[in-house]
Amino acid sequence: MSKQATDLETPVPQQTVVPAFDPTILPDMLPVYYRRLFPHQPFYRWLSYGLSEDGVFCNREISFTLHDDIYIRYLCFETQAELEKEICSRNPYKIDIGPVMHTRPTNFRIVPGGLTPVQRELVFDIDMTDYDEVRTCCSGAEVCLKCWKFMVLAARVLDLALREDFGFEHILWVFSGRRGIHCWVCDHQARHLDGRGRYAVAEYFNIVSYVNFMGSNSPRCQLGDRSHHSFKRALKIIEPLFEEIIIEDQNLFGTPKGVNKLLHMIHDDGARTEFEGYLQKSHEDGAHSRLIWESFIKYSNSMRTSTANVWSRKLKNIVQEVQLCLLYPRLDINVTRGFNHLLKSPFCIHPATGKVCVPFSVNAVAKFDPTTVPTITQLLHEINAYDDKTKSYMEAPEDKSRIKDHKKTSMFKGVVVFEEFLRKLERSNKERTNVLQF
Amino acid sequence: MDFHLKKRARNDVKVEVVSLESKYPHNVMMYYYPPTDDIHIEEFEELALERLRLLRVLDRAGTKGLRLLSEDWKEYVSSELTREGLRSYLRLCSPGGGSAQGSKHESEIQTRRRDYLSHFILRLAYCRSEDLSRWFVAREMELFRYKFAALSSAEVKQFLEANDFSFQPLTESEKDEVKDGLYESTAGQSVSKIELLDFYKVPFTQVLDLVRGRRCYLKDGFAYVNTHDLVSVVGTKQQDIMELGLLASKGLIEEVEGDERISRMLKALHNSYTGKDYTVCRDAAVAIESLNQLSKTSMPLCMRMCHEHIRAQHHVKHGGRMQYGLFLKGIGVTLEDSIRFWREEFTKKMDADKFTRSYEYNIHHNYGKKGSMVNYSPYSCAKIIKEMAAPGDCHGCPYKSEDQASLKTKLASYGLSTSHIEEVMFFVSRGHYQIACGKYFMLTHNSNVEPTINHPNTYFEESQILMGNRQKRTTGAMPQKAKLRPDIKGHADRSMLNGDDDDELWKIAETQERAYQSQKDISEAFNDDLDLTEIIY
Repeated sequence: MSKQATDLETPVPQQTVVPAFDPTILPDMLPVYYRRLFPHQPFYRWLSYGLSEDGVFCNREISFTLHDDIYIRYLCFETQAELEKEICSRNPYKIDIGPVMHTRPTNFRIVPGGLTPVQRELVFDIDMTDYDEVRTCCSGAEVCLKCWKFMVLAARVLDLALREDFGFEHILWVFSGRRGIHCWVCDHQARHLDGRGRYAVAEYFNIVSYVNFMGSNSPRCQLGDRSHHSFKRALKIIEPLFEEIIIEDQNLFGTPKGVNKLLHMIHDDGARTEFEGYLQKSHEDGAHSRLIWESFIKYSNSMRTSTANVWSRKLKNIVQEVQLCLLYPRLDINVTRGFNHLLKSPFCIHPATGKVCVPFSVNAVAKFDPTTVPTITQLLHEINAYDDKTKSYMEAPEDKSRIKDHKKTSMFKGVVVFEEFLRKLERSNKERTNVLQF
Repeated sequence: MDFHLKKRARNDVKVEVVSLESKYPHNVMMYYYPPTDDIHIEEFEELALERLRLLRVLDRAGTKGLRLLSEDWKEYVSSELTREGLRSYLRLCSPGGGSAQGSKHESEIQTRRRDYLSHFILRLAYCRSEDLSRWFVAREMELFRYKFAALSSAEVKQFLEANDFSFQPLTESEKDEVKDGLYESTAGQSVSKIELLDFYKVPFTQVLDLVRGRRCYLKDGFAYVNTHDLVSVVGTKQQDIMELGLLASKGLIEEVEGDERISRMLKALHNSYTGKDYTVCRDAAVAIESLNQLSKTSMPLCMRMCHEHIRAQHHVKHGGRMQYGLFLKGIGVTLEDSIRFWREEFTKKMDADKFTRSYEYNIHHNYGKKGSMVNYSPYSCAKIIKEMAAPGDCHGCPYKSEDQASLKTKLASYGLSTSHIEEVMFFVSRGHYQIACGKYFMLTHNSNVEPTINHPNTYFEESQILMGNRQKRTTGAMPQKAKLRPDIKGHADRSMLNGDDDDELWKIAETQERAYQSQKDISEAFNDDLDLTEIIY
């Protein structure tokens, strides 16, 4: 063990500042994490779905990423014990979850015709980098509380649509460890959607298209004469926060470049030029977004009501369209569409940030703070500090105390969210099997 | 010798005398049961070719960017069908083309028979690979919708009854409960119409096309569809039947192909669709030093923009790497050169180590040297046009994804005059991207012949030939698509069936299919920024 890791064993008072995560000692920390903190039992309860269907657990493809980006695909496990043993002995940097195949995935070389996926959660991946052109606070891998608000809206809009429109109930939201969020829809029907079904659901949410303008892609979406109920519902969620996020936090239209972004969302060349002229007359370069946005609303309203023109026909919903373009969930659509797309498992450690991929409750998504999600370093500190205080770790036999180790740490909340999700899932699973039996 | 189309066992069952009319009672049929008739081999061929021509018309309408069943689409399809001598099918797809009862002409019943038989014949040709099946099912579904759209409400009702669809419309009070949603979300109907229409509640999985386009009200996993949209439910069923049918045909193939005449013809049929293969470039080697020059003279816009993006940004996302990387392979850039090209550019932004770790594998992979060892084929226009570019991407078809104003600027900066730009834009604004591309080719090459651009590599090759840098392929090993098309003209002309190169073409088609499949698997299995540096099993 490296020096740092042995340091963790020495008593530290709980109040001491936790050292920052250091990726180089990740290999030393992972064994402890997997043995003492990873919620193996709930994890198995999830993927086994009460063993209500044949092969639902043992035909599931799991993949590990080991050191130096070595991927091992097509792993599968018969029992919880086997999975747990393998995780604890390999200590993967990352665990990915694939589909349930028609046979054991390890047979992939000998199955004629290859593996066929038979079921898989309907998954969504929302990545902050897709918001790079509409956020000014951070870019790339960075994330702060201001840009987290984009995720808050995305999660709310998507979650509500999945529940109300598609009737799904068992939806697990997971922070992806750095800058994005994952959504796992685990209802029976969602897991059994075929390729076409996934494609259709993904497209249902894919309302924004991109048009290339001098090398930068500009979002467009058109509401049409009557807006689909899903747009209206999304607007109800988005509108109240639009000014806070786009105008105040991001001040997106505060630069000439930002104003151009707004202009490019006007999908009529003539109208765009008109409005551009109007803006140039009424505002100086670098005017605050608030002024630009107010002018935009005023201008489009007056144009729409005064005479019959392009603003009253093609552009009559332009204000709402801009709001949707900027804030409607931006999905990585291939993740949702693919039947056999691998997705990082909850409770992994993100190898670059050291943060745990914790589940969160979508109702409390606004309170979720990605910047304070515990890192593996912090967690190990916390159990040590706790053990030290109670001395229980030294006295109690290891296997007893280890079950509840996560309760000693700030990972506790994530596990509770996960268990709550499991409880509901199991209840409806039971109802399903009961119905089938009678 | 008589040819038995399907399992003999069926024919051995006592033959009942059934009139054609009761056998083919309706213009639209579900294609449930394979026909059991004996037909002459010549008619077999004739029917196959006829159907192929029919489906190709629909295909062309699609690549022209016409929306299915729009007025433009109908006009184009009807004039093309007439030109191809397929007017009888056109009648099948026209209103008043008629239901069964009594008075119909013998010729229409005959068309129904041809329709039914030819569908099942083509199943045999198109069941071989997923790629082919997908194309076939997509075209067949267009035909189905075209036919169905021509039915009157009485005929629809009759059809539904005959095919055991039982739908119960919502009662007034049920409808009242969801009426706000219906008003908002039912596409294509006015509010006053919605008041009058019957609505049906079906699981959303039965109307996926409506869900995809947000064309109906959805609540708790159920879709509320009106009478006019019931075609979706029927269509879904039809598609399931066809897909299962194709799987079943696959199992029959060996038996059918015991007859050499049949096997030859079936294989030739689908080869004429797969077109030319660019997986391996056999003509020439292209040095990467000449790419800058070539990008200006011989690359289509989509590739030229990728090239310029890479030179300017020294990085490009996964989609662009695939599109441009495979294109380069297709024009004859060797693996070593390819790696050198990407490395030189990328290492301006990252260290050599990261490049080796994250990107080299991908290039080897594209050349079939690592991982699944499949030699991937370069993307065709159809695929490129379908790609959705997201922020930061440079791939896709610029005629489609570029804003028109910036496309004009781009063309101007490439040296086109204003009037020439307008010529190109004429097609762009009508959604004819491939024709626009062909126009651009003519203008930049001072050529009078407009090439058919179906593939960026065709564009490149044609350009090189025009400039005298390459010879036209004369080996005959690979018949070109452009040449094949005119061959399939009349019933009598069967030149396409005499291919000596069947086996080679067959192999190519199979590699393409495998390549497509594993490529899809891989791209589906991983995120964009997840790089396949090393895979061990």
